[in-house]
Amino acid sequence: MTTSPIETAALPRPEKSPWQIKNPKQTRALILASVAPAIVVLAITFGFQIDGTIAMLTMFLPLQVLSAGAVGFRIYGKKGIADAGLVIFTIFFSSLVGVLLMSVLYSVITEGFKALSPQFISQNNVYITPTTSLEYGGVGHAVLGTFIIVGITTAVTVPLGIALAVYLTETTSKTKGAVRTLVQAMSGLPSVVAGLFVYAALITSGFSKYAGWLGSLALIPLMLPTVTRVAEEALRLVPVELRNGALALGAPAYRSFLSVTLPAAKSGIITAVLLGIARIIGETAPLLLTVNYANSTVLNPLESMAALPTYIYQNLDSANDTSLQRAWGAALVILIFVAIIFSAARMATRSASVKKKPKKVAKND
Amino acid sequence: MTNLEIANAHLRSEDVNVWFGERHVLRDVSLTFPVNQVTALIGPSGCGKSTFIRTLNRMHELIPGAGFAGKVFFNDQDIYNPEVDPITVRLKIGMVFQKPNPFPTMSIRENVLSGLKLSGRRGYNADEIVETSLRRASIWNEAKDRLSDPATSLSGGQQQRLCIARSLAMEPDVILMDEPCSALDPGSTRRIEETIVELSESMTIVIVTHNMQQAQRVADQTAFFLAEDGMPGRVVEFGKTEDVFNRPTDPRTNDYVNGHFG
Repeated sequence: MTTSPIETAALPRPEKSPWQIKNPKQTRALILASVAPAIVVLAITFGFQIDGTIAMLTMFLPLQVLSAGAVGFRIYGKKGIADAGLVIFTIFFSSLVGVLLMSVLYSVITEGFKALSPQFISQNNVYITPTTSLEYGGVGHAVLGTFIIVGITTAVTVPLGIALAVYLTETTSKTKGAVRTLVQAMSGLPSVVAGLFVYAALITSGFSKYAGWLGSLALIPLMLPTVTRVAEEALRLVPVELRNGALALGAPAYRSFLSVTLPAAKSGIITAVLLGIARIIGETAPLLLTVNYANSTVLNPLESMAALPTYIYQNLDSANDTSLQRAWGAALVILIFVAIIFSAARMATRSASVKKKPKKVAKND
Repeated sequence: MTNLEIANAHLRSEDVNVWFGERHVLRDVSLTFPVNQVTALIGPSGCGKSTFIRTLNRMHELIPGAGFAGKVFFNDQDIYNPEVDPITVRLKIGMVFQKPNPFPTMSIRENVLSGLKLSGRRGYNADEIVETSLRRASIWNEAKDRLSDPATSLSGGQQQRLCIARSLAMEPDVILMDEPCSALDPGSTRRIEETIVELSESMTIVIVTHNMQQAQRVADQTAFFLAEDGMPGRVVEFGKTEDVFNRPTDPRTNDYVNGHFG
């Protein structure tokens, strides 16, 4: 490289770029437009003793739209009105959805937390009646049961689902369309039907009594569509140039898949597995029909076992305050598991995209 | 047609016809690629050059809906003979694509060795292969200190040379290049052209290009493809590069190489 006579020393970055500098007049108008309606509505609600929900819907929303429209008009003219209206509606309805979801989460967490304790996680349900104090008994047996039932389902479904995804993305078979439709149709299968099918085919026929493995069997058709579809998307995202690159080097198709396509789709496939587990971990109906309950800790999948969803159902059935608390506690335990699974899925996908970013930086150097 | 001796032919196509679905896109292409010569395939977009080059190592059949008739002889054996395994064909006839496609999950070094690993070869001297391949693709100096870096950390031009090195590691007899420089800057293009000229001392090269000057700089012989409205693409003119550009026999070739259309 030749050196240039032009000054090339790095300069400090200015604190704010032009688009980050706010117009103080606009800021004031915006604050006024967002706070004023709330103050007016609060004053009227308290002054005239009106119900909060009614005030919210009849006064606050229209007022907010009006004031935002006025500010929008002042700053941007006519098109500002439509803009402001859209923004207010978007914020209002998304916060409405947020509040609804949060309230479910909130009640599970607050109610469930009352039951939660180390012994609640570790003990089982033997000698526990609906009126037994919360200090005794727990969901340990159900946690283990859920692990075993979901574990067996996962062990069977993941290879099947990935194989299906490979079939759908890597082959040129003519029956692909039919198979894909079938898999998609399966995702609409009501879980109780899956349970009923196993119940009718294997239990009423006398082939088996209630058993954990039958629950796993009933969960397979529920998990399979999720795993297949997510894995299929992940494999489809691998550019065709990479496959061609491998095949042009004289790689047999299976090696090209194992060494090039699969590693490139790894994080997506991990996500597929985790989403599949999250899909079935809370399923109740199939387990009620095929596994039944157990109060003691059963680790043999050939017997009736306990599972978290059926434990909740069992406790709701007895409609007593302490057993309701237990049900909330078990719900919280499921929620925690699902949260762990989803954050693991997030991390799996994130770590893959984070790895890519420094590469791009390095390229610009 | 030139009077190149068929006996000297390394690769030879005989009446190659291609269809996509029911659409006939390439008709009766018979070209001869002599040992250690560079052949450029030129022509306007959509005339079937890229399609043709993909028939030469059986990558064509990977496109859904692809159809084929004709023969391609490699060392006097028809590679479309049903008894021939396309994998062995691709081992001997390497390919470099338009867009650099290094394997993103592998390092530079792993990319060079990927072909050997993918084809299940064993008992090779990895360090030696990495160095000679990268040297032949003229990227050794830039890559030698960062062999374990991800391949995607290279610039576009470097990635393309890495892809060339990746094909070279397999020691193919022929390399097919499908517009290898179309995504690259002039500097990288020049380096790849130099690489092509060096490589042609020891291997047969077929290159698709849209760049007339590039064809003139690197190719010993040139084939001009043309598809007239709705008709399948054909070879209009084939001969020594010098002749095709300076003394074309077909007026359409003359128009094309002088920039009157396309």
